[in-house]
This record gives sequence, C-alpha cells and structure tokens, in this order.
Amino acid sequence: MATISETAIRPVVRKPIDWWRWAGRFFLTFLLLFTVLPMAWMVLTSVKSQFAAMQYPPQWWPTEPTLNNYFKLLDPRNRIGQEFLRYFWNSFYVSLLTTILGVVVAVPAAYAFSRFRFPGRNFLFFAVLVRNMFPAVVFLMPLFLLMRWMGLVNTHGSLILTYLTFGLPLSIWLLKGFYDNIPIQLEQAARIDGATRFQAFLFIVMPLSTPGIIATSIFSFIGAWNEYVYAYTFLSRDHQMTLPVGIQRFFTEFATDWPGLMAATFMMSVPVVVLFLVLQKYFVRALTEGAVKH
Amino acid sequence: MAEVVLKDVMKNYGSLYAVNNVSFTVEHGEFVALVGPSGCGKTTTLNLVAGLIPMSGGDISIGNRIVNDLDPKDRDIAMVFQNYALYPNKSVFKNLAFPLQMRKLPKAEIEAKVMQAAKILDITHLLERRPRELSGGQQQRVALGRALVRDPAVFLMDEPLSNLDAKLRVAMRSEIKRFHHNLNATVIYVTHDQLEAVTMADKMAVMHGGVLQQYDSPANVFANPVNTFVASFVGSPAMSLIPLDVVGKGTDVALKSPEEGWELPLSAQNARKATASSQGTVVLGARHSTLKLHKSPVAGSVPGKVYTVEPTGDVTFAQVFVSGAVVNVSLEPTAPIAPDEEVFVEFDQQRLHLFDGQTTNALKAA
Ligand SMILES: Nc1ncnc2c1ncn2[C@@H]1O[C@H](COP(=O)(O)OP(=O)(O)OP(=O)(O)O)[C@@H](O)[C@H]1O
Ligand SMILES: [Mg+2]
Repeated sequence: MATISETAIRPVVRKPIDWWRWAGRFFLTFLLLFTVLPMAWMVLTSVKSQFAAMQYPPQWWPTEPTLNNYFKLLDPRNRIGQEFLRYFWNSFYVSLLTTILGVVVAVPAAYAFSRFRFPGRNFLFFAVLVRNMFPAVVFLMPLFLLMRWMGLVNTHGSLILTYLTFGLPLSIWLLKGFYDNIPIQLEQAARIDGATRFQAFLFIVMPLSTPGIIATSIFSFIGAWNEYVYAYTFLSRDHQMTLPVGIQRFFTEFATDWPGLMAATFMMSVPVVVLFLVLQKYFVRALTEGAVKH
Repeated sequence: MAEVVLKDVMKNYGSLYAVNNVSFTVEHGEFVALVGPSGCGKTTTLNLVAGLIPMSGGDISIGNRIVNDLDPKDRDIAMVFQNYALYPNKSVFKNLAFPLQMRKLPKAEIEAKVMQAAKILDITHLLERRPRELSGGQQQRVALGRALVRDPAVFLMDEPLSNLDAKLRVAMRSEIKRFHHNLNATVIYVTHDQLEAVTMADKMAVMHGGVLQQYDSPANVFANPVNTFVASFVGSPAMSLIPLDVVGKGTDVALKSPEEGWELPLSAQNARKATASSQGTVVLGARHSTLKLHKSPVAGSVPGKVYTVEPTGDVTFAQVFVSGAVVNVSLEPTAPIAPDEEVFVEFDQQRLHLFDGQTTNALKAA
C-alpha cells in the first residue's frame, strides 16, 4: 500500500526536494571539510621532521614521513617522553575519577528525582541545572577561593570536584529521563518475584539504563579530558599538569616544536576517539531513547 | 494456597481516599473479581495486598498471617500486571526463571520448572525470544507463566486481558479460568469489564470511589444489586433506572411520573418497599429482558417513545424514553418497531427493582 502511493506521488514532488537535498549535501560537505582539514593537517605535520614543518611554501605531503615524534613522546627514557607520559597519566587519572564519581553520584540522584516525591524535589532539580546557565569561567575565581580555603589548590582533588559540578547536571538530567521511561511496574514485578528494592534496582533498572550511564560517562570523561582553564589556574606544579596544560610546554622560548606538538595533540585525541567509536552504539541509543517518551 | 482477609483497609493520598474502609475475605481457592469504573481504587487495593505501597490503615492477612509490614517478596504472592511488566532485557526463559533465581533454587530445578510452565502455556518455542519480539497474546502468556512457575499462595492479576483484542480476550478468559480450576488457586482479579467478572469469578467485589459497594457471587450481585450504582454497573446493557414519585397509601400504592403524570400501580410486595423510601421518591430499575413492548396500553404498562433500535443478530435492543429516562428493552429480531414510535412498556412486578430516590440503596419491604 505504502509503496504504491509513494511511487505514484514521486514524479510530482521530485524537483523541489532535490534542490534542498543538494543544498544540504553541499552544506554538510563544507562542515566536514571545516572539521576534518585541521585534523588532517595535524596528523600530516606530526609525521614531518622539524625542518620540513617549518618550510615555506609548506610541504603538503611529507616527503620523508617519520614516526620519530611519536617515539620521542612515548619513550620514558628521555625527558620529553617522561613528561608527556606523566601528563597523560594525570589527565587519565583525573578524567577517570571524575567519570566514576560522576556515575556514583548521578545514578542515585537521578533515580531519586525520577521515583520519589520528596519536599523540595522540584527546587532541587532546577537548582542542579542552574549551574549550566552560566559560562564556566564565571565560577573560576569563586571556585579558586573556595579551593584555597579548603586547602585543595595544587591537588588533583580540586579539579575532580570542579569537573564533577560541571558534568553532573547533564548526567542527572539525562539519566532521570531514562528512569522516567522505565515503567515502575518492572520494579514492582521484581519485588514480587523475590527481589528487595535494591536488588530490583540492581538487576532490572540498572541494565536498562546502561546506555544512559555510558553516555553520561563519555560526556564526563571528555569534559574532564579537554578542560584547560581550571587545570591551568588550580595547578602550578609541573608534575601535576594535565595534558591540555602540559602540551603548552612544547611552545619553548626559542622555537616551537610543531611536529612534536601535533603528535602530542594527536595522542591526546586518541582516547576520546576510541571511547566514542567503541561506545557510539550506546551513545546514540541514549540520546534517542532517553529523550523521547514512548 | 491460602485465604486473604482485608479488614478496614485504607489508603489515602492527602485528602483523596483511594481505598476507603474496604473489608472482604477471599476464601482458599476462590476466584474473586475486583470491578469498578476507572479510578475507583482497584489497582490500589491490589497493590496494597501485594505490599507494593504502604497502607494508611487496616489489616491484611494472607493465610492466617498478618502481612501489613511484610515486603512483597515475603508475602508468597505472584502478580500479573496490566502492561505485563516483562523484563525487556531478558529472554522469555530468563523472565520465567527470575522469580526462581531470586529464591536461590538450584539450576536444574529452575530449568525443570520453567520448562513445565512453558509447556502448560504453550510457549516452549518462544523461550529464547525477547519480550518485544512477541505478540500481545504471547506476552500475556509469558506474564502468566512468570506467575505460575513458583506456585504462590495467591495470584493477583491487574486487568491482565485489557490489552488484548476482543477475540483473544475471550480465549484467554477461559484459559485463565481453566488454570484457576486446575491449580485450585486463590485469585484476586482486577477488571473494569463487568462481563469478565461475571463470567470468571466465584465472587465479585464492586468498588466505587474507593468504597466497596457489594461483595457477593455474580449471580447475587446481578439479581440483588444493593444500590443504583451496582445495578447500572453489572449487566449489559445496563439496568434501566427511572426516578419516580411514590403516591397512595397502604397496599394501594403507585409510582407517578413527575414529568408525564402517568401512574404505575405496584404489587403488594413492591408497595411495601416503595413506602419505605426516605423522601417519597424511588428509582425504578428493570433489566432489558424483563420488559415487554406493546403498541397499545395493557395493565401495568407505561407510555414511552422509541429512540433507537439496534439489531445485534439474535436480539434487537430498543432504547425507549420513559419519563425522561432511557430504558433498554430486548426484542425479537423480527419485532416491527421504528424510532419515534409511541409504545407502551410493561413491567414485571416480580422482577423489578426499587431503590431509594435519596440514598440510592435498594429498598426492603418494611
Ligand atoms: N501515587 C498516587 N498519588 C496520588 N493519587 C493516586 C496515586 N495512585 C492512585 N491515585 C488515585 O487513586 C485513585 C484510585 O486509583 P487506582 O489506580 O487504584 O484506580 P483503578 O481502579 O485501578 O482505575 P483504572 O481502572 O483506571 O486502572 C485514583 O483517583 C487515582 O488518581
Ligand atoms: Mg488500575
């Protein structure tokens, strides 16, 4: 039935639709170039030698590609390698802790917002979102003062706490949408089938909200991994730096090591890309399932 | 297997009394249907028995054990939900196995019990599927199976058939009835479909606005409804109800139409009932099958005007306006009758019902 009417109508509406389609394609191609070209240039530069990178007119394609820059970064025997690996580890450690703590806090909070009616529920829920109404820099000085007062300046704890406050609102909001969509009867059925309240949550609700948890985890991780301003302000000791701040050290007083910088930047984007590719399936499901009421 | 006793059970949400002072006893092995219109507190009552929501007052006991403070898992009950509540991320097999796993049964026993339940319900070929890959009827069977696997003391069912199409509903109706018979199980069954209640239940509890109106066998509820609500809720088409005034004294009593002025003389028995009314007004109730239509007046008939005629095959239903109320009458399919025709409705004095015009309760002979 459906196919018949479609083919019957098609010839009439074909032309105008095609124009829009081509305009759309053109626009998407443009966007793609806009995002991909800098990345391509980053990868190309990272396999050039220092000398080749500085040439003018530029070498579009490296004549003598080399992986030396990567070996240098990943070799714990020289100074650059040691530093890079340390920054990488710092970033990883801070992002991972932020993500884990974020899930540990967001899951029960979102569940409570979704399932329980308690005094101040609406107020609290919107209070959680207020943070997202202001640009992050607004909180830089107040948070710095707060951290100093708590004696957390120059510790990774200050960053983890800060990133948590940035990531949690979105995590809670997204997860609440998930829990709202899980019928309460599922938990009731589980409790009748012999589960305690907590077991019902653990065995029935948790698996159903995995896509949401994974999506919020990716958000928190990426947010923490890429953050620059707070890391730059809260930490002053070399050995504590995270990658975004640490990479700056490639801008030396005399000459910037462009290929080294690009190799480091590329290495920095690897975890995020890998995370995204592996978990992309859940991510898409989370954004479509969690957001839409059935 | 066990009996279930509800005593003065209350549940309020703020000032809303969802369940108000409900008491009844379900005997061991009995099938009780909880019926009533939407929002009357059926699900709430069932959830209270299940222990899914806390009570505001009263006592519930299952098998001589007060269960007021017991968790659902400790009440030895199974429940079938209206939307089935199958675990969407588990296969049918795992859905059926879950209650047994939670009770820490050995693996081999779980497998045996699941296979047995699946066989009874004829869902053996579906065990590897996910719930969303099943039809509504199949999902319904799985939900039933999940309740069956661990033979609980009491089965609770919340409108288990309401999501099925009409034909499947009738088929599943007799199957559930059959299970009840074979298992000799105690069942509390919620439905808003009075026909389901009448056909399946040993007893029916009719609720309205959180209050239990009548608790009796379907036959008794049908024959002796305690008030106009029950009268109009049970039976299809509903019992016709006509508000009338009582005139006369002693045994010479008639009902008078306040709108049309005609009078209907009552038999001695009915006269005694009518004079017991609190304000001199009654509601006359009559089922469609007890009424006769005439083209000219006969003794004990009142005038009316045909509104619609609905042939259904073996019976034709006519709706007749009598004293401003709609009266359903069943007729032979061949009856020569047309809308707007003036007719006369004859009442059967033995089988008419009289309710108090003020309190709506059934009147008893004084
Ligand atoms: N959690 C709640 N908070 C407030 N009011 C509630 C809650 N649950 C139920 N109610 C109210 O209690 C009353 C009874 O609800 P219940 O679900 O028991 O009705 P029901 O008889 O099952 O109706 P239906 O046939 O539509 O399922 C309704 O008026 C409902 O609005
Ligand atoms: Mg209900």
